[in-house]
This record gives sequence, C-alpha cells and structure tokens, in this order.
Amino acid sequence: MKIIGLDDPEVKSSLRSAGVGMSVQEARSIAEVLGRDPTLPELFNYDAMWSEHCSYKSSRATLREFLPTDGPNVVMGPVEDAGIVAIDDQWCVVISHESHNHPSQILPNEGAATGIGGIVRDVNCMGAKVVATADPLRFGNTFGPEANKARWVAEGVVDGIWQYGNALGVPIMAGDVVFNESFDFNCLVNVVAIGVVKKDEIIRSRAPPGAGENNYDVILVGKPTDASGLGGVIFASEALREEEEEANRGAVQIPDPFLKNVLFKANEDLFRLVREEGVEIGFKDLGGGGFTCASSEMGAAGGFGMELDLDLMHTAGDFPPEVLCIAETQERFLIISPRSQRERILQIYNQDWDLPNVYEGARASVVGRVTTHENYVVKHKGQKVIDVPIQHLTGGIRYQRESKPRIIKLAEPAVDMPADLNQVMLKMLGSPNIASREHIYRYYDTEVQGNAVIRPGEADAGLIAPVRGEKFGVALAVDSNPFYGRISPYWAGATAVAECMRNVAAIGAVPSTLTDCLNFGNPEKPEAFWEFRESVRGLADSAKNLWLKGYPNQPVAIVSGNVSFYNEAPGGSIDPSPVIACVGIIKDVNKAVTMELKSPGNRIFLLGPRFDELGGSEYYRVIWGETGANVPQVRFELERSMVYTVIDAIDQGLAVSAHDISNGGLAISAAEMALADPARFGLDLEVQGSGDRRLRSDKLLFSESSGFLVEVTPSAREEFLKLAGRYGLQPVDLGSVIGERRMVLHRDGKKLVDLDLDEARKAWTGGLVEAMR
Amino acid sequence: MKIAVMQFPGTNCEHETLVSVRTAGMEGEIFRWNRPEQELSQFDGYIIPGGFSYQDRVRAGAIASKEPVMDALREEAASGKPIIGICNGFQILVESGILPVPGEVSMALAQNVMVQGKKIVRRGYYCAWTTLRHEADPGRCAGSFLIDKGALLQVPIAHAEGNLVTVRDGLVQEMNDQGQVVFRYCDWQGRILKEFPVNVNGSTENIAGICNPEGNVLGMMPHPERAYFAWQLPSSDPRKKVEAPGPGRMIFESMKRYIEVSR
Repeated sequence: MKIIGLDDPEVKSSLRSAGVGMSVQEARSIAEVLGRDPTLPELFNYDAMWSEHCSYKSSRATLREFLPTDGPNVVMGPVEDAGIVAIDDQWCVVISHESHNHPSQILPNEGAATGIGGIVRDVNCMGAKVVATADPLRFGNTFGPEANKARWVAEGVVDGIWQYGNALGVPIMAGDVVFNESFDFNCLVNVVAIGVVKKDEIIRSRAPPGAGENNYDVILVGKPTDASGLGGVIFASEALREEEEEANRGAVQIPDPFLKNVLFKANEDLFRLVREEGVEIGFKDLGGGGFTCASSEMGAAGGFGMELDLDLMHTAGDFPPEVLCIAETQERFLIISPRSQRERILQIYNQDWDLPNVYEGARASVVGRVTTHENYVVKHKGQKVIDVPIQHLTGGIRYQRESKPRIIKLAEPAVDMPADLNQVMLKMLGSPNIASREHIYRYYDTEVQGNAVIRPGEADAGLIAPVRGEKFGVALAVDSNPFYGRISPYWAGATAVAECMRNVAAIGAVPSTLTDCLNFGNPEKPEAFWEFRESVRGLADSAKNLWLKGYPNQPVAIVSGNVSFYNEAPGGSIDPSPVIACVGIIKDVNKAVTMELKSPGNRIFLLGPRFDELGGSEYYRVIWGETGANVPQVRFELERSMVYTVIDAIDQGLAVSAHDISNGGLAISAAEMALADPARFGLDLEVQGSGDRRLRSDKLLFSESSGFLVEVTPSAREEFLKLAGRYGLQPVDLGSVIGERRMVLHRDGKKLVDLDLDEARKAWTGGLVEAMR
Repeated sequence: MKIAVMQFPGTNCEHETLVSVRTAGMEGEIFRWNRPEQELSQFDGYIIPGGFSYQDRVRAGAIASKEPVMDALREEAASGKPIIGICNGFQILVESGILPVPGEVSMALAQNVMVQGKKIVRRGYYCAWTTLRHEADPGRCAGSFLIDKGALLQVPIAHAEGNLVTVRDGLVQEMNDQGQVVFRYCDWQGRILKEFPVNVNGSTENIAGICNPEGNVLGMMPHPERAYFAWQLPSSDPRKKVEAPGPGRMIFESMKRYIEVSR
C-alpha cells in the first residue's frame, strides 16, 4: 500500500478504505523502518500487534510506574499469558485474568463463552491443569430505561459462561455481579482462570534456546483457521457505537468447548511427551491478534526470527493472507518443538485424539520454522507477503497519554433517620447487588473435577483441593465496587484489593497473589486516563502495604492482568472498574471455615470499627437514591491486622465461621451469615460498641467500612481475644447466635431491628431472580 | 479386578471417576473411544462417566450410543458384567437401548423443569447437592449392591437434561414392579416430595437412577464420584470435617462386591 510520498489525508483515506485502524503517524513510522511501502498484510499485522489490546500502548508506562509484580513467592510475573506463584516447594498456581467486554455486549452468549475459552487457554499453555475459573460481571440497570437490553445481555452472558465452562469441565468457583446504569451500553465480562503445575514442569510461551539454530518446527494445532473474530483486538480498542453493531459482530469469535475439551486432553499427552523426552518446547495459545501475535511473540521472546508458510496451514476455506494471520479463530495453539519430536506430536493430535474426525478440518500442521534471522517472514501462494523486523512488530509503540483529574461534585446527603429499619433491611437484602447469587451459580458446575471444598454461596471465597493426596487448598475471590469508582477511582482500586484479600482470609486462606483487570473509558480523554492512573495507584498502594503474610514490607504481587479501555458509548463511560482477583493458599483444607452460623450460644465478634463511610453505599443508593462522598478507605495497618487475625484464628481453630463486611455494612453482613444455607439460626446483637458513638444508628449499621464478623465458641473466646490483642486489635463482642429464626439488633439496649429471618430469606433469595427474569 | 472408565470426545468426569475406582480398591483405566472395541472384553466392569459426549448433538448421549464401543458394551451387559452410567453415561445407556429394557429405546432424559406451586420456576441446567433414597433391595443392583433399602445418600447433580420421561405407557409401573427404580430424589428426612427443590429436575416419580431387569446395569443422574470423600460434602453437612468415606463411595464399593460375588 502506498504511503511514502502521499499526504496525510490521502494516507488516512487509503488506510480506512482498506479497513486498517492505525493512525497516519503509525503507518509512516512503519514505512520508515521498512524503508519501503508496507504490503497490505504487513499493515494488518502491525495494526493488530500495535492495537491497545495487544501492545498496552497507553497503559504500559502507568503499570510499570505503580504495580508491584515481584515478591518472595513469585515464580513468574506478568511476562507471558499467565502469572505463576509458588504454593509450596513443588506446586505452583498459574493465574490469568482478562476482559471480554465488547464482544459480550454485541453477542452476549458467544462473547462470554469465548472469554472463558480464551482465559483457560492462557493457563493451560503454561503446562498447567486448569482447575477453576471466576467471572466478575457488570451489567446495566435491569430496572432502568435500558432494562430489556440489560436483561438480554445478562442472561446471554451467564448462559455463555455455563455452557462453555460446564462442557469443558472446569468449575466456576467464584465471581461477582453488579448492576448499574453506567453499564447499560457496555457490560463488563471479566474472566479469571487458575491452574496448577509443578514448578519444574512449567512450559514457556517462547521459542526455546537453540530453536533458531536448529530450525525448530512451528506447529499449529486445533480448529481450522477461518475469518471469525477478525479484527477482534482492534474492535476491543475502540468505543462501541450502536450503528456499527452489525459490522462488529464479525469480530466476535465462535466458541467450541467440545473441541477444547479434546484439545486439553491431547495437550496433556504433549506435556507428558516432552517431560519424558526431556526436551524443551514453546507453547502458546492463539488469542487476540491470532496467528501473527502468537508466532511473532514466541519468536521475539526467544530472540529469533520466523519463516511461516500460510499454504501449510489447515484452514476452513481460501482466505486472504491478512485474514489467516490475524483472525481470532478459537481453540488453537502453537507449538515450537525440535524436529525430532515432529512425528510423535502430530500423532498425538491427528491420530490418538483424532482431531480430524472430532471436528471437521481440525488437526495439527507444521506451518513453518524458527530462524536465526531478525525478520518475521510469511509466505502465501509462493509469494513473500510479510517480511518485517520481528522485534519492531512485537515491540509495539508507547503513548504518553494526558491525565487530568475529573471534577466530581460530591456531597454527603442529609437523610432522615428511617422510621422502620426492618423495612430498610428487607429492601436492601432484596437489592440486585446484595441478594443471594444462587440464581446464577446454580447454572455453574462447581463440582466437576471433584475438587470443590467451599462453593459459591457458602463463604466469601471459593476453595478447591486441586491435587489429590495433597492437603493444600487454593481459594479464589474477585471484587470491585463501581459506585466507589464513581466517587474515587483511587479508593476503588485500594478497597478492591483489600476486600478481595479479606474474602480469601475469611475462609482461612493466606492472600498469595493478585491480578487486575482494569476497565475504563477512552484513554485519549484526559479524565478517563486520570481515572485509570488513580485506580492503578490505589490498588498498587494496597498491594504494597497489605504485606504478604510472613514477609513484612513485601507486597502481595500482581502477577497477571489486563487493561480494557474504550468501555464507553455515546451515552457515557462506565464507572471506573479496577476488578481484582485474589488467590489464597490454605495449608490444610480441613481447617477452612464458611460463613453460615454454626451453633446457638456462640459469640459474634466484630473486627474493624465503623466509620462515617457511606459514600457509594447500598444504603444511600437503594434507600435514598444518593451517592454520597465519604467512600470507604483502607487503613493499611488496621487492615493487615484484621486479615492476619482472622487467618490465624481459623488456623488455630478459634473461629468457626467468618464473613467480611462490605456491601450493606455490618447489618447486612450479619444477616447474610444467618441466611446462608442451612439457615437454621438467628442473631441477637448489641451494636453500641461497633464504632464512633456519635454516628447515627443507620450509619452504624450500614457503613461499608472494612471489617469482619467472626463466630467464636464460648470456650475459645479468651484465646481469640488474646490472639487479636497480639495484632493490636480489640474485637467487639456483639452478642450471640440464637436458636430462633430472628435477627435482633440493639443499640445501648434499645431495639433497632427485629427481623423475621424467613421473611428476610424470601427477599434475599428472590432479588436476583427478579433482576434477571 | 479391572474397570474400564469409558471416554468419548466431550467426556469430562473420567479422571475423578478413575480416582474413585482406584480408591475403592479396583484397578482401572481410561478407555478412549477410538481404541479397538475387542479390548473391552478383558475388563470386569465398566463405568460411563459424565460430560457432554459429542457436544450433546441431536440429544444428550445420542451420538456416543452409535459408537462401536457401545455395541461391545451391549454384549458385555447381556453377559452380566456390571455397568454404571453416571449423568451423561446414564443418557448414553438409555440412548443405546441398554436401559431400562434391553433392545428398546423407551425412555429419555428430557430438559429439567423445576415446578413449584404447580408453576414452572426455572428450566435447564442445575448444579446442587441432592438427597437420594435407595429404593431397591440390597443385592438387587450391581451399583447399589451394598446399600440398604431406604438408606439416604447425599450426592450432587449437575445437568440440564435429567428429567426422566417414558415413551411407552405403563413402563414406569413395570419398572416399579420389577424393582428397577434404584434411587429417588427426596428431602433430608427421606420424604419423596413432588415439587422443586426436592424433585430437582421434574423427573417422573422423582426417579434419579434405574437398573435393567437383571440388575447388572445402573444408570443415575447424580455424581457419586463427586461425593466419594467427606471433605467434598457441602459445608452444612457435619460429616464434612471428619476423615470419613463420603456417601458416593458406596456405589463403587458395591460394584466391587458385585464382581467378587459373581465370580
């Protein structure tokens, strides 16, 4: 395509008419490096590789500036498709976290399903067995002006997730869902996958040492390449416009959990083969940017070049070279392996697992070789169609975006003291953002693989025992509060990290690593970029200051993540949404506790005093329609002490249940402990000591300041207090578990709430059903 | 004593099923669908585990039932060897005409329909722990050989199509008369309540598992391999914290005992 010698408008018009999204300056810089006009396939390849999604061109500098990515337990930080942390001397957790927002808004079922499909590949390609997923979801207001669309999206997304995850056979162990109008035109579908692998069996996504000198094979495995998901990364790097919805559908990929199920089993045989043969291979999934992205990144990471021949690729038809290069056809992997293994690898996929008969056109094909040249070379029909410096292609570009604080008008509302707090409680328990998640998680096969120890609904985090014969468990939780983001992107980031850690601590697991999926608006707008930077700064501050337990001043490292910009429509941008996932490790799964009340007579202790922090709270919004200003903050030392106290109390058998305080505050969290299955007991609590005495009772009950409620047997009371004292805490004894199905809350002896828990359970179990029906 | 755990494209419970087989004291191996079917005769028993064989195309289990290995299993069933089909495995046994009566496809596992107050409150996929009441006499069925009549077992389900419906009038009565109904969904006290959530999928007469007239073939929707160890139980079950066998273990131990006595 001619660029050299043309003026800017001419270049722009030829780029756009060809369907290339890059800027004129970007195109010129490519021509300059090549010393000639680039070919059309070259431009498409650069366009994909330099997209925001693949290159992090706007975000990278900020991530580097703030995020702690290394720590004592980190085996591999965010350099490849997934991060890795150690569980013990032998085993590791592999984790990856991504967004699939744009595709899910356009085609909810396929978009969400391919989200799960992509994230499990990222983990599997490190040589790991994928053992769990999580799904943080944000949908529009299903009672608002866009109710029908929001419900259609919500239902389709949940269907896509269960249909893919269940069929693949990976349990969905954690997740959260929030509804609000800022997601009316941009839902968020974030997906997390975790796997386990032995430290010495990790497989890297790069051409291994010697690959160039020995011309290792490049083998493409899986579904035949077609035109699906064409330009997916470019589409993900622009704002959504409704009039382009039809055109954008082509950018959504097509899921196939059935083929993936067979591929995963074949991959296990591949891993076994290379272990037994003692050879090092490179292995990577094909995701955003398709064949070009996987092959060029693997070559570049090894310091080699590539020579690929598209005529050797198995395809679903006769497609132009740029389509074969960047289409995001699902269920594909790329292997770089010594020639000595070629026949055996092909046999695994093409004969043993019979791919050609399992799925029409699927197979493993040798498509090229690694070279010691510095170029990425692709041939098509005997012609060289791409010949570019591989490091230039994969190196991407960087932008220093302008950042300007968004002026947010904030005020604390003057609201009356409600006359009937029982009615307030019922209304809040039935709110779609608080109500029981059962309607969704019953679609999810949490039991497949037989590893589930704690399931959704039983506690603040899911827990699995992923390796038979080992006692350790891996806990998983996700969090982010968009209403906090609306008030303060910084505290949204900081509180998301803290809450996620509390979630895994509440079952007794030690927070071990974090991932971040950063969902924001258009980074070319200074206010949106400021929101992004503030959130990253906030979550990084929490990660750095809530130390890895046992390692003072060492962070809980962020080993994987993803940035999703352009989550905006002409109607506006989403609330800043730094979504966090936390993995926790517990040494013995038999010690883990859940959140439901265990036995009448037990004491309920509060950790974490209540502050005047109702900004973005459920109470302000659901009861008063207000946002407020005083967003919950993270007091790092207090937070650390609370988390450590709860972990130690559970480890020492002093706590029989625990639940973190978040949405809805102390009163709602207490109710949740009484409402979770089997819902047999009640509570009688005195809240006077739970915070500042000047706080009005509604604020005391519904402030979302961080904390825990911990159930302790009478005989363990003294030990528990002693333990908390060693961390400088004085837990407040709120009262006891009772045999009756009532929740009574007193303040200074005066009754505030007297709730029939069976009635409360109806409101709580029905809320989400109503919101998604 | 060697058990073949069958594997079709899309099967996804073979590994945990194999763990259960081995922990129960039997040898076992995963038998891939494209292995020569003649090799099946060397095994003493067979389990068809859960999953989405062939993507549930046409109907759940329909395509797998046409595989040559299923012809071989039909012969092994006729010879009296034990076969257990779990979830999708149950669906495959029904589509193959092995259950409930050899030689005819007279039943289907239809889409779950959850009925409460005579209204449909939900449809389709559902994952939850259920309580099963063992309806057969001990010794009646290979897969529940050691279980007392009336015993209650906590076992999870996870399926979209487990609603047992029959094609032929009188078939359910026939199965009742012949003692072919092995498990029904019940509440924690053993009561057979017709409505959701006790009848979790709308199945005819709350039926969760059946055997063939001879008793050597068991098909069940719930997953005993996911309830093999006590730590797998829901957190509200007091047995969870005890180092004890889980309720699902009885299924595998029954199979083992059945093979021992029929030798």
